[in-house]
Amino acid sequence: MAKIDVKDLRVFFGASPVITGVNLSIPDRSITALMGPSGSGKSTTLRVLNRLIELYPEARVSGEVYLDGRDIFKMDVLELRRRVQMIFQIPNPIPNLSIFENVALGLKLNRLVRGRRELFERVRSALEKAQLWDEVRNRLDMPAGKLSGGQQQRLCVARALAFEPEVLLADEPTANLDPENTARLEALFLWLKRDVTIVLVTHYPPQAARVSDYVAFLYKGQIVEWGPTRDVFTKPKHELTEKYVTGRLY
Amino acid sequence: MTAARKLINWLGLGLFALLGVAAVVPLFLIIGDIYIKGIDAINRLGGLWHFLTALPPTPFDEKGGIGPMLVGTLYMTALGALLGIAVGFPLGVYIGEMRREKFANVSRAAVNILVEFPTIVVGLFVYAVMSLAKQSLNQYLLDPLSKALSPVGGWITQFIGPLDGFNAYAGAAALAIIMIPYVALITASAYASIEQQLREAAYAIGGREFNALFVVLRKAVSRAVVTAALLGTAKIAGETAPLLFTAFGNTYYAPFTGPTAAVSLWIWYAAQTPYSVQIASAYGAAAVLLTIILIIFIVARIRG
Repeated sequence: MAKIDVKDLRVFFGASPVITGVNLSIPDRSITALMGPSGSGKSTTLRVLNRLIELYPEARVSGEVYLDGRDIFKMDVLELRRRVQMIFQIPNPIPNLSIFENVALGLKLNRLVRGRRELFERVRSALEKAQLWDEVRNRLDMPAGKLSGGQQQRLCVARALAFEPEVLLADEPTANLDPENTARLEALFLWLKRDVTIVLVTHYPPQAARVSDYVAFLYKGQIVEWGPTRDVFTKPKHELTEKYVTGRLY
Repeated sequence: MTAARKLINWLGLGLFALLGVAAVVPLFLIIGDIYIKGIDAINRLGGLWHFLTALPPTPFDEKGGIGPMLVGTLYMTALGALLGIAVGFPLGVYIGEMRREKFANVSRAAVNILVEFPTIVVGLFVYAVMSLAKQSLNQYLLDPLSKALSPVGGWITQFIGPLDGFNAYAGAAALAIIMIPYVALITASAYASIEQQLREAAYAIGGREFNALFVVLRKAVSRAVVTAALLGTAKIAGETAPLLFTAFGNTYYAPFTGPTAAVSLWIWYAAQTPYSVQIASAYGAAAVLLTIILIIFIVARIRG
């Protein structure tokens, strides 16, 4: 059963087309990777899925996107963003806000918790799921900006998980991390997919091969090929895909 | 060759150090002059507590203080700062964050002009508005209001009641008009410098645009905004020109609905009298005002 269905998605920035017809169906509780060279429209596709694209007034979107069969453009944007959370390329906690507050703020603003006790439990459980709790449990009041890059990114994962989302969008989440933290985050994703549908944007084919169940290869705003990861990497149907996964197209 | 270069380097560094000293010297000369003469004056006029609470000296007094002026300055500065932040901050968010709105460009230009406005013109403007609005304001709002509030107690008439042409609220309004563009511009540049990544995070977790802008992102720029508010407050605490036509000045503790004393106005008035006791009180007042401003400034530095 598909969690997200994308039908004939087109996005223009001003007059220039960025996405020219993307059809995609993202299976529930799995990791779907969107891979492709820079400028292929991966991040833009991702920003349509939680309508962050609306922060860019010059962007025009057409096509249909369904979450559990419901049109996301007719859905309340607050509900959509609660259910579809996101982590970003550069870890972006609010730097001068404490570790605790960074996770708690979204819950408070959306009135998702009642009382201090429930808030604390939700924050702790989110930090535990993001595998950060043991490192920060004694310094929850410290400004988030003092954490290391890898910890900041896991804090952002915790901030997203605090909403108990159904979908987690990840926009090249390891692009600014060292190999050790990259491995940790990938292991975390593999564990999280039991509960959450993950859409991972990456410009690094080996990462897609390592963690994803399904992969879509985007090139110049269109999907060249998509299917189960093993098939796409071992028996690519399209010459471009073969070139890309073997590192001859970038 | 290297010796010549070393010499040129040494001379160049020396020149810049000299320029640095030249910039700092006047500051310390002013501060030193005011504190030396001011502290001496405060001691002669009856000690610190007496100076901070007593009425100002007449030309024939031995002792005196700046009590009414201090109260007036604190009251008008607090009101002006609150109003300045309440209007300046949202205005700054508007011109900094909603840059694509057509009217935002107009407001940015207007704010940029307003921040350089001659402050005496602002005072004159508030005076003109006060003259026009006073009568109907009193007749339809403040008279009935003060009558309705009279059961609360007589003290309320010190704050609310029919206004004179000169009053503390006009003074506070003039100060607020000076502070608004100052806070707005710093807020706008702080918001404009927020990275797109952080903005996206704010919308992803904040939900409503209001929350994203005024809660999540405000926390991200709170330091700059608090610093702007404090420095703006220090700026208006010492303003004289905008108060000339609005607060006017007074030498007694008087209701804020009438002419109100201010430290800066007293310095301006007393320093040009020929009486040494009043000139001394002006020096004392300058020391007090400078202390208030330096404290706000230091707090702003430590927080920023």
